[in-house]
Amino acid sequence: MRRLLVLSAVLTLVVATAFPAFAQDTLKIGAPQPMTGPDAPFGDKFKKAYSLAVEEINAKGGINGKKLEVILEDHQAKNALAATVAEKLITQTKVLVLTGGRASGQAVEIASVAHRLKTPYVVDHPSADIITAKGFEWVFRNNPTGSIYPQAFNKFISDVSGALPKSASVVYDNTVFGKTIANSAMTFLKSKNVPIVNDEAYPVNTLDFKPLMTKVKANNPDYLLMVAVATTDAILLTRHAKEIGVTPRAFVGFGGGFGVEDFAKELGPLSQNVFSSAAWSGNPNDPATKAFYQTFQAKYGIHPKEHEVEGYAIIYIIADALQRSKLSGNLEADRDAIRQALLKTDMTTVFGKVKFGNYAGPLGDPYTNQNVYSPEHSVLAQWLNGKLLNVWPKANAETDFVFPDTTKR
Amino acid sequence: MRRAVAAGTIGVVLAIPFLTTNQFLVHLGITVLMWTVLGTAWNLLGGYAGQVSFGHATFFGVGAYTMMILYLKLGLAPWYGMVLGGIVGALVSLPIGLICFRLRGPYFSLATLAVAEIVRLVALNWEALTSGPVGLLITTLPQVSVGSRSVNWESKVPFYYLVAILAVGAMLATYGFSRSRLGAYLLAIREDEDTAESIGIDTVRAKVTTLAFSAFLAGVAGGFYGMYFRYVDPDAVFPIALSVEMVFIAVVGGLATVAGPIIGAIFLVTVSELFRERFLVGHLIFYGLCMMLAIRYLPEGIWGGIRRAFTTYVAAKRS
Amino acid sequence: MVQSLVSGVLTGSLYAMIGVGLTVVFGVMRIINLAHGELVMLGMYGAFWGLTLWKLDPFVSILLWTPLMFLVGMLVYRFLLQAIIPGGELNTLLYTAGLSLLIANLALFVWTGDYRTIKLPYAMLPMRPFGIAVPIPLAIAFGLAILITGALYFFLTRTDLGRAIRATSQNPEAAALMGVAVDRISMITFGLGSALAGAAGVLLAPSLYLYPTVGEILISKCFVIVVLGGLGSVSGAIAGGVLLGLVESLGAVYVSVAYKDTIGFVIFLLVLLFRPSGLLGVAKS
Repeated sequence: MRRLLVLSAVLTLVVATAFPAFAQDTLKIGAPQPMTGPDAPFGDKFKKAYSLAVEEINAKGGINGKKLEVILEDHQAKNALAATVAEKLITQTKVLVLTGGRASGQAVEIASVAHRLKTPYVVDHPSADIITAKGFEWVFRNNPTGSIYPQAFNKFISDVSGALPKSASVVYDNTVFGKTIANSAMTFLKSKNVPIVNDEAYPVNTLDFKPLMTKVKANNPDYLLMVAVATTDAILLTRHAKEIGVTPRAFVGFGGGFGVEDFAKELGPLSQNVFSSAAWSGNPNDPATKAFYQTFQAKYGIHPKEHEVEGYAIIYIIADALQRSKLSGNLEADRDAIRQALLKTDMTTVFGKVKFGNYAGPLGDPYTNQNVYSPEHSVLAQWLNGKLLNVWPKANAETDFVFPDTTKR
Repeated sequence: MRRAVAAGTIGVVLAIPFLTTNQFLVHLGITVLMWTVLGTAWNLLGGYAGQVSFGHATFFGVGAYTMMILYLKLGLAPWYGMVLGGIVGALVSLPIGLICFRLRGPYFSLATLAVAEIVRLVALNWEALTSGPVGLLITTLPQVSVGSRSVNWESKVPFYYLVAILAVGAMLATYGFSRSRLGAYLLAIREDEDTAESIGIDTVRAKVTTLAFSAFLAGVAGGFYGMYFRYVDPDAVFPIALSVEMVFIAVVGGLATVAGPIIGAIFLVTVSELFRERFLVGHLIFYGLCMMLAIRYLPEGIWGGIRRAFTTYVAAKRS
Repeated sequence: MVQSLVSGVLTGSLYAMIGVGLTVVFGVMRIINLAHGELVMLGMYGAFWGLTLWKLDPFVSILLWTPLMFLVGMLVYRFLLQAIIPGGELNTLLYTAGLSLLIANLALFVWTGDYRTIKLPYAMLPMRPFGIAVPIPLAIAFGLAILITGALYFFLTRTDLGRAIRATSQNPEAAALMGVAVDRISMITFGLGSALAGAAGVLLAPSLYLYPTVGEILISKCFVIVVLGGLGSVSGAIAGGVLLGLVESLGAVYVSVAYKDTIGFVIFLLVLLFRPSGLLGVAKS
């Protein structure tokens, strides 16, 4: 009997608290992110970035007099939950526009829901090509797609004399991210007649790369390309490659893990001369970028990187579209007005220039509403003495590249 | 009395899309019903037959992929694909059963876990068939009419009724099952398999049949998942976490009962939403705790506890 | 080829240590503890915090964590598991599954999902005897693992308590008749299994990275090992561990990296089917 009472009490509590009250008259942006679970650190980065942007915009008076608000919801890196969260934000919280998603699997679900429920979804970070390659008119993307990522690397090996690989080992994680990037890189290499001596997919969060690297070493590749969506994979790949004694002319990393401070911190001297192909050409000599770095560092005490910039920029892009939309209070009409405004977006953010258009990607995918400047956003950086510096293309370079890699093993 | 309650509940369940305009609530309802089908499927094997499978996600995933592949590559309408998904799930369960049923108790459970992982890895790597990690996405569902009206796939209502029918069907099937001879055999097997064999029950046949049916239900649920959520990738439909959630629903809801899974599903979804939104702490902590508490204090699950409380109350009133 | 063998054996020895803990518990209590991976994870975090907070090298702090985990194990048994065991194998299995979820997610909440690593200054680059790369922390761990396992073997065969444990494992009723306090032995054994898990975690920590849900991956490898070697057999678990390490290492190099985990599972199934008592197993009753 007592158990039953307790049970009913719990259930009542559950139902009563299930629907939170909502805020006043703000312009709502919905952002599904992983806030708990192993992906939570990334969700947190976006939370900080969004907050900073929203604060700045609201401090300047908001958008046409109204304040901006970002509503974060946790999707725990699960696809079905991402769909649930998107549904909730759209139908219950009645947001005007969505952003976020973080991982491609969840982003695809969100895109699908947004498209069906006719709400604009402006993608900030997820890179799966499929998100903007299915003709979803309500989905827009600022950041480069997975297949665009290797562009800067492709330019490097084509333009720098002697840099064309004599052979390449390509190692990548078995995720949509890893596969897409690897595919794109390999397609280009093949078009230049570079023999691919290793084409190895590994499971994410592999604990031991030594067998893999043993295999790679046996082929003595000229270049070693490593794709890793998880930071830990990036670090272990590099460490084990060097432990086993793979000695290519260049180690090239693709993926967020190769671009975070931890990479150099954990690997120390082992990180020297490793290239990192990034989705963002954050040149700290650019005044806007520098200002952003300083503000972010001052507010949160952390140095921002790719994720933070993407989150920050996307709020500005959305704000710009909101500014240009005539909002009548009718949710459906407003969402469509925002969509129309987004189609006309033409601006510059800390992340770079942005204009949404339809064009064909490097692997032939037909993009809809993909940032036309994406191919320019890809940049090649290199770890030099513990610092990650842009080295190619020359226009974005902070310093000269070091090639071939002659560090002692 | 019980039938009235059951009929009443079914009535309420079917009426929900008309009782509320809150689309999110309908979405949650669809999720609950889908989990009910899964919990019921697992319950047949785990609750009634006592064979704890930690790999039921296999059949869910197989059903989902079957439906997606048949629709996207061959243009077969998703509702047929869904049923075929169930059938393929059942077919796949035959060799799996053959392998795993040679083992008893925890060995069986571990084997199902191993099988589930193998299938997931195959789905991840066999790109020609499954598109690997990129997954399969449905952008539009085919035109179809029920009666004279064309089905509006943009609305949630058709999905709700589809899954509601599946859930009610699954529960009715469980009811029939529990009353049948096969059901009796299963209970005997659960209590003591060797004795059951010695009195002449063909235990292998009973277990394999049950698994096939269980896999069929899980596969159909998988097909539904593909239709409603429209995107399938190996991590969404094959992870161990999914199998564990199925176990959770049945155990916490009430093993070997007809209503247990729906109670378990309601509990799971409610707790999940609550924790997700209100508390910073992951809901999985609560799951773990609930499972431990359930086994310790409520081995018949919530439903069993309710029934017992009700019986005690009625008995007290009578005396 | 030799490189693969060496890598395989080294990693395998650590797997073996985890497996031994699990198999000892099963042997005595017929419990398959699904939370075993989490116990290893706790050991790993112990090593991390020991280093970060008190600047203790993991190979030193193992002296602290092992007895601590022993205690934790005994408490878990006494206050959580003891009441569940009479409910049957299946219930216990499900209970430990819940426990595993609880511990892993509590850790996730408290320590966050940020992965951590243990950096030992003397372990940056590997040793290279005969041109084979041998990472230093792994080599030390290997050595210590052998020592610990040796000590365990000695304990089980030469001491009274150890013999009592083995007796209970072979036949609880007979042991009880001979005056063995079965409940107490069970508690001690669980403590022992936990201590081994924790120790393995401490040894593994410098070679891996830490995150709260690492238990999941470890536990599935653990099962393969323990079944390979035979549930209940310590020497079997050791052999199984090394074998799995070798199979994974060679499989990745000579078959396929993507499928290397699959190979382990397939072998697992084959063994379960054709030789369920494992290579050196104690027959299941």
